[in-house]
Parts: sequence; C-alpha cells; structure tokens
Amino acid sequence: METKTLAVEGKRRATLSQPLILVLLILAICVVTTIVNPRFLRIQNIINIFLQVSILGVVASGIGMLLVAGQIDISVGTQISLMGVILSMIMQKVLALPDGVVSAWRQALAIPLAIVSTFAVGAVLGLINGITVIKSRASSFIITLGFMSVYHGAALLVSKGASYMLFGRFELLGRGRILGVIPVAIPFFLGMMVIAFIVLKYFRYGRFLYAIGGNKKASYVSGINTNRITLTGYIVVGLCNALAALILISRVGSALATTGDSYALDALASVIVGGVSIAGGKGTALNVFLGVMLIGLISNSLIIMNVNPYVRDVVIGLIIITAVTISQMTGERE
Amino acid sequence: MAEANILEAVQVSKSYPGVRALDQVDFDLRLGEIQALVGQNGAGKSTFIEIVAGSLRPDSGQIVLEGKSYSALDPSQSIELGIQTVHQENQLVDELSVAENIYLYDLPKNRGGFVDYTRCRRATAALLQELGIAVPVTRKISSLTFIEKKLISIAKACSRKAKVLILDEPTASLDEGGKNILFDIIRQGTRRGLSVIYISHNLGEIFEIADRVTVFKDGRKVATHAVAEINMGAVIQEMIGRSSASLYNRQKGVTSAADGEKLEVIDYSRTGAVEHVSFDVHKGEIFGIAGLVGAGRTELARLIFGLDPRDSGRLVYCGRDITPFSPFDAIRKGLGYLTEDRKDSGLVLGRPVFENLSLARFAAGASLLMNLGRERSETGGISKQLDIKTPSLAQRVINLSGGNQQKVVLGKWLYAGSEVLIFDEPTVGVDVGAKTEIYRMMDELARQGKVILMISSDNPELVSVCDRVGVMRDGRLVTILAGAQITEENILRRAMGVIDKE
Repeated sequence: METKTLAVEGKRRATLSQPLILVLLILAICVVTTIVNPRFLRIQNIINIFLQVSILGVVASGIGMLLVAGQIDISVGTQISLMGVILSMIMQKVLALPDGVVSAWRQALAIPLAIVSTFAVGAVLGLINGITVIKSRASSFIITLGFMSVYHGAALLVSKGASYMLFGRFELLGRGRILGVIPVAIPFFLGMMVIAFIVLKYFRYGRFLYAIGGNKKASYVSGINTNRITLTGYIVVGLCNALAALILISRVGSALATTGDSYALDALASVIVGGVSIAGGKGTALNVFLGVMLIGLISNSLIIMNVNPYVRDVVIGLIIITAVTISQMTGERE
Repeated sequence: MAEANILEAVQVSKSYPGVRALDQVDFDLRLGEIQALVGQNGAGKSTFIEIVAGSLRPDSGQIVLEGKSYSALDPSQSIELGIQTVHQENQLVDELSVAENIYLYDLPKNRGGFVDYTRCRRATAALLQELGIAVPVTRKISSLTFIEKKLISIAKACSRKAKVLILDEPTASLDEGGKNILFDIIRQGTRRGLSVIYISHNLGEIFEIADRVTVFKDGRKVATHAVAEINMGAVIQEMIGRSSASLYNRQKGVTSAADGEKLEVIDYSRTGAVEHVSFDVHKGEIFGIAGLVGAGRTELARLIFGLDPRDSGRLVYCGRDITPFSPFDAIRKGLGYLTEDRKDSGLVLGRPVFENLSLARFAAGASLLMNLGRERSETGGISKQLDIKTPSLAQRVINLSGGNQQKVVLGKWLYAGSEVLIFDEPTVGVDVGAKTEIYRMMDELARQGKVILMISSDNPELVSVCDRVGVMRDGRLVTILAGAQITEENILRRAMGVIDKE
C-alpha cells in the first residue's frame, strides 16, 4: 500500500513539472518586464497581450491536436494567407468596393457569404493535406512543406500580388469590443482552448488522437480507423485556420498574399514550447495554452522593453530549439 | 587430433538476467569440415555464434583459434582472425555494385586517394571466378536475384581470408536449384581448407551437406555426431531431451460445448504465405498452432483477424459467418488478437494502463463522448481480475514488466468482449512466474467458454497447455495432433517435415 501511494505521487509530480516550469517562466518574464517598464502590468496591456495572442491561439489549438496524433502541418501560415485573400476578394466583389454602392441584400449577404466560404476553403485545404499525407505515406513534414509553397503560390496567383482593402466593412471580429472593453477576438481564443480541452479529454476522437500518436500500429490492430482520425485532424486544422483568417483580416482590414505567413512558425513554436510532443501521443490543451501565452508574452515584453523588434524571431527560434532539445533529452531518459 | 581443430570453445558460458543462455559449452571445429548446429528456439545456437563472431562477450570460458586462446573477441578482431558470418538477412548495400560491396571494408585507393575502381573490379572478378560464381561485378546489388545476393554475401565473407565461415539459415527462402548452387560453393570452399559452421532448422539439408552435427538444448551442448553414424530421429530426440516436468498441468479435453458451438476456420489462403488452411476449434478448447519461424503462423492469424487481404477464407462462429474485413470489424464480431510483438503493435506504451485497457472497446463503440468514471471503475475491475501489478491505473504501460504488459493486452480484448482470442507467442519475454500465470488465465478463459488459438514456437508450452495442436509448414497446415499424439517429438517432426521412416 505504501509503495502504491508513493508511485502515484511520483507520477503526479512528473506530469505537473512541465506546465509548472512554463508558469514560472511566464511569471519571470512578467517580473523582469515590469521592472524595466511598469506600464507592462496595466490592465490595458494585459488585455492587449490576450488580443495579440488570440489569432495565434486559434491556430495553435488546431495544430496542437494534430501534433498529439503524431502529425504536423507547417502549411498553416500560407493557408491563412490564401484564405485571407479569398475572403477579402469575395467581400470586394459582393460589396463592389471601394464604392460600396450595392443593393441591401448584397450588403446583408456579404459577410455571411465570406465567412461560409472561408470555412469551406479551410475544410478543403485540410482535406487535401490530410489525404495526401495518408495516401503518400510520406512524412507529413515534407508533404506540408510542399503544400506551404503551393498555397503561397496560389495566394499570389489569386491576388495577382495586389492588396485588397475592406474599407471598414468587416471590423467586428478583429476590432470590436464587448461592452467597449473586452476585444471580441479573446472569447474566440479562449473558446477554442476550452473546445480543445474537452475534445482531448472527453471525446473518443481525442482519445484516439493520443493512441495514434503513441502507437499507430497498435491503434489499428485495436480497431481504430487511423486514416479517418488523421484526416479529421487535418480538416480541424484547416477549420481553425479559417477562423484565424477571419479574425486576422477583420483586424488588419486588408489582405495581402503573405498576411498570415508568420503564423506557421509561431503556432508550431507555441505548441512545442508548451510541451506537446512532436513525436505524438503527449500533450494537453493546457500545454497549448501556456505555450501560446509564453510566445505572446515574449513578443509583447520585447516591445514594451524597447528591444529591436527584429530580435523577436531570433528569440523564438532559439526557444523552439531549446524546448525540443530538452524534451528529446528527457524523452531518451525514459 | 588437436592440431586439426581450427576452432575450439572451452567451457563457454553466458547468462542473461534470469536465463542461462549458454552453460559450459565445449565445441570443436575441424579444418575443412562442415559442422551443423541444431536445436530448438532458445537452445543457445545464436548466442554461441555471436560469441564466436565477437559480438557477445562470454561470462567465462575460452575461444581457441588455431591453437591461440582468447577469453573474448570483439567483432573486428574476430574478422581479422578469419571468422566470417553470413547472416540470414541480406546485409549488402543495395545501391552499390557487386565489386564495391565485396571490398566495402577496404576499397582499394589510387595515388590520388580516390577509389581505384579498376583494381576493385579486377580483384572481385578473380575472386568470383575462383569461387565459381558467375555474376557480373558491375551489377548493382538491387538488380540481383535472391540466390545471387546470398552468393555475393558468401563471396564477401571469403574475400577477407576467411578460415571459419558461419552460415545462419543460408537456405531460408531458397528453392531447390538455389540450394544446390549454394552447396556446391560451400563444398568448393571446404576443399580449399575452409571450415564451416552451418545453422539450419532443416534436418534434411544438414544430412545432405554436413560432416558432423552438434545438438544444443537449453544452453547446453548435448552431443556431436558424425552425420554418417546417426539418423534424423535420434537428432530430434536429442533436441527435445528427456521430457522435462510439465510446465503447467491442465485438465484437457473437458470442453462441454455442444457440437455446433465452435469456430470454423475455412480455407484461408494468401499467395506466398498461407495455403488452404482449415480447422475447427470448439468453445472451451485451446488450439495450438506450431511450426518453425516462417511457416506462416502469424500470417494466418493476421488473415483471420482481417489485418491483411486474403485470397480465400471464411470464419464461422456457432453457425454465424463472422469473417472480418478489418480489425474494427473483427472486434465487433468478437475477435481479439494478441500480437506477437506487444511493444510494436499491442500497446500504446506512453499512455496509461486504463487507456490501453479501454482502447479496443472504445474503438468498437459509436458514442461521441467517453464515460470516464465508468471507464475507470471497469478497467479497474479488469485489472483486478487479471491481477495486473501496477501502482495505479494511471501508470504508463512502458513502466510495467513484460508479464504485466501482456496482461494489459489480454485485458484490452476481454474488456472489448472478445469471444475468440488469438494469442501469438504470448509468453515471449515473460518471466517464468508470469508464464504460469498466463497459462492459468488461458485455462480460465477456456473454461468460460471462449475459443482460444495459441501460436507458439515454444513446443513444451504447446504440449502442456493445448487440447489440440495444428502444425504448419511452408504455409500449410500439415497435421492436427490430439491427445497423446501431442508430444514435442511429433510437433518437431511434422514442423521440420521429417517423415517416420528410419
């Protein structure tokens, strides 16, 4: 009986350690930044940090669940760019922008049409990625690297390299504030985190993601349709990207062929730093959330501390490398 | 006599935790002879040749090569001394030519430090001619046939001034013609003074080519005989040894199932693996499937479970057709398959015990959400029933012992409601205590009226546990033994294709 309780405690300590380290790291960054610039702690800045990470968080929730299944999608950034361009072009066409003189039903239809099309495109892109990864049996990293380039080119082709302005016609999602205080985007971010939490913990689908990521062969022998689960994972990523594209374009107010490109690196960085294993089978919504907050905080604190903004990408790159090295070393010990 | 021995082993022993793999083995190999090593799985043949080849260190004992004594060899030293091993699987580099492969360890260089291909090709051509192998030296390995690859492997071994050649199952997957070519090459080698250690499961072959045969059993050398002075039956007797005490005492043949209550395996075939296998297993019966490695046993299990596409085959349980089309379908129809390699395809090692236990049940289910409370209590019940020793259900399976891991796999199928259970080598890598426990559970499950198929290479295990044993050879079910017919000797004879004529 004694050994039993001991072992249980040991286990608990082991699972807590990673989020705990992240929380401590986040607190440390907060303390240092506050000392350098006390404005960091203002409620306005804290809301700002959440707003800044909300798009990243939406992307990371999708890709985090995919990583749990042992797959990766590095085309998320260019997917978002492509969807941003398509959605802005639809708005422009339907509303006949920049003049904007159209009938009332076209006014009413524009936004719903843009939203539905964006989600449809997101689902299709996820479907294409997923089917190709499954059918080719190649590494998902290489396949989605290829698609990253394909979607980038597609965005350039569709937009002809031009920028598409929305002239303030689609601002609620990215710029609106609930009661004038809380940005509308934040509930979407937190909502996605809650959904990811529930799916991973309580859904059969979530359990299968862990099983496939942990051992695909054993999962198949145990009756799991591994291809279908993997495919669903990619479609979920596409849908999350669609939501991210909607928030992003609404916030920026215009679309270029490269508007969303940077989200691939940041989202992967968040998920990996948060402690979701790239080998699959490990990671929770809490890991994703803390990773997103850490990446967001680093960006924010560098700005607040007046550090050259170009340093940011160097720092984030180094953080990915450090996180993967640490998890590799602890993984090998097992 | 001693000066005629090129290789001797004196009192060589090697232990692993819990297993005495080699126990004071003496061995001698004469100059220019072909000596066969035989023994059942786990008899110590592989351990012995690995020690001779230098990839394992013996705990005690001496290796004597040409009169010089060594307490241990390392692989490069062993090669230096002229001991060469040709492994069962191809170890050539596919994308390089024959010549490059043969001299890969020491490619000739020209003055500029670049590879001197002309010299390499010429040396290879001379070597192949000497050995009587007609393969163009510039061909890529990937374009060679199976037998050609085998011959090149042997040529490569000979190129390094081999004195002792170890051949591990060299004729596996060779046809009769290929075998004859191979034997010619071996005989030519021995005429030039090469000595050969020949490992094979095929006794017929051994009696054809070997001068002497040495029998291993449970890590000991039983005896060495001149092939001319012994027959196959006697060799088999020695491989089995005096019948050791039964591993497990099971009351057999007590199934009370009505006549129709059985699983019918009807005409399963898959080209190149399984040929027209049919048999029945009654409820409450443990049906063993014996055979040598490669006889098609696992392939048959995979076909039955719907893992691989089949050319023909139907599965009928109590009069109902339950032929599965996928593992998912198989589970829904009441089948469970404990795979040969639980780490590779049985368990999600990094996940907790309870998740592994409930995996197949959830996979066969249809609900969107999981009832976690019910899962906890029910997997707890399974864990208690099978006496899985784990500090908690949340423990990751990787931290469990082999026997407990096997119980988790079994628990997974029981929780999924399997009525027909296929055990594929259930006691490999499991300690003796846990083995008995696994037999007891199989017995218990049989009593509960489950249908049990047990694939095993451990013949004593089949003898003590099974009600009937089907023996497979080359993809065919050659016989079904029942009652008193189930002896190690009978199983081994049928598995090796030695017919009763002495």
